[in-house]
Amino acid sequence: MTDLIPLDPASAAAGLREAGEGARGFLGVDPVTENDALLTRRLAALDAQVFRAGDTLVGAAPNPHQPRQAYVASTSADEAALRALLGFLVTYRRATSYVALVERGAAATEALRRCGFAERGALRDHRHRSGAPVDVLVWFGKAAETCPS
Amino acid sequence: MRLRGYRDGDRALLTGRWLPGELLGLPLPGWPPLAEPTTVPPPSGPGDELCVAPGAFVRYTDIDWVGRGARVETGRAPDAPTPPEALLEAAVAHGFHRLNLRRLYGWVTPAAPAPTTALTEAGFTREASVPEHLWLGGRAVEREIWGALRHD
Repeated sequence: MTDLIPLDPASAAAGLREAGEGARGFLGVDPVTENDALLTRRLAALDAQVFRAGDTLVGAAPNPHQPRQAYVASTSADEAALRALLGFLVTYRRATSYVALVERGAAATEALRRCGFAERGALRDHRHRSGAPVDVLVWFGKAAETCPS
Repeated sequence: MRLRGYRDGDRALLTGRWLPGELLGLPLPGWPPLAEPTTVPPPSGPGDELCVAPGAFVRYTDIDWVGRGARVETGRAPDAPTPPEALLEAAVAHGFHRLNLRRLYGWVTPAAPAPTTALTEAGFTREASVPEHLWLGGRAVEREIWGALRHD
């Protein structure tokens, strides 16, 4: 089981900046075009939590309209890191389902697929990357087991 | 019809019985009398634009001024003189041609009776669906994302 280390806002912004290309679109932020102050402010507005799991950063933000659902994001294809985050959300946030918005071709796609997420559609030209619009895929996952208590 | 900017005198329009964040926020029939009405905050900061049509508001939020996209939500009072079709058309025209955005998207809840023909006529298409995305009537219901692109 991979250990999750919670990051404070300043180290979350620094970690996302280090992750570079893999962190583009992480919960909707973009460390390539946004500075640390803006990253911190946007993550705070989402009420997001960022964790370090080995070399990977994973993050989650609650869905304001449905407290049992969380938006999740990861900077790499590391399945164990994402599984650790999902386990944390079930146990400590009582999440029953997850949504991930990832750009087409992002590294995290592979981890999502292995964790049982299913693709639910594509948002056309949703984000702008390196001079061209890119599609964003919507992935949905259901918690395997709910919180026992 | 054209939208005009929000003023403090329009504050009464921002509260009503529609679903939060809905692309076409029409008053929901059978709203429980004890449930809080939905409220939209007045605009704050550069990521938010709020516009007003007679009896309705249009809110552009999460605006990405670099990628030129925004999420749209509307709310219409039950006795508003603006029909839903005209409201959506004005929202799209304002977003594309006055805010100079390239993409508009929003949430649509199939569990609520939404006239999808009005959305299609305004240029929106259904792009994705997210199960269990909104708490409505004692259960989590599916929500869809509808988006429109400016072709130029």
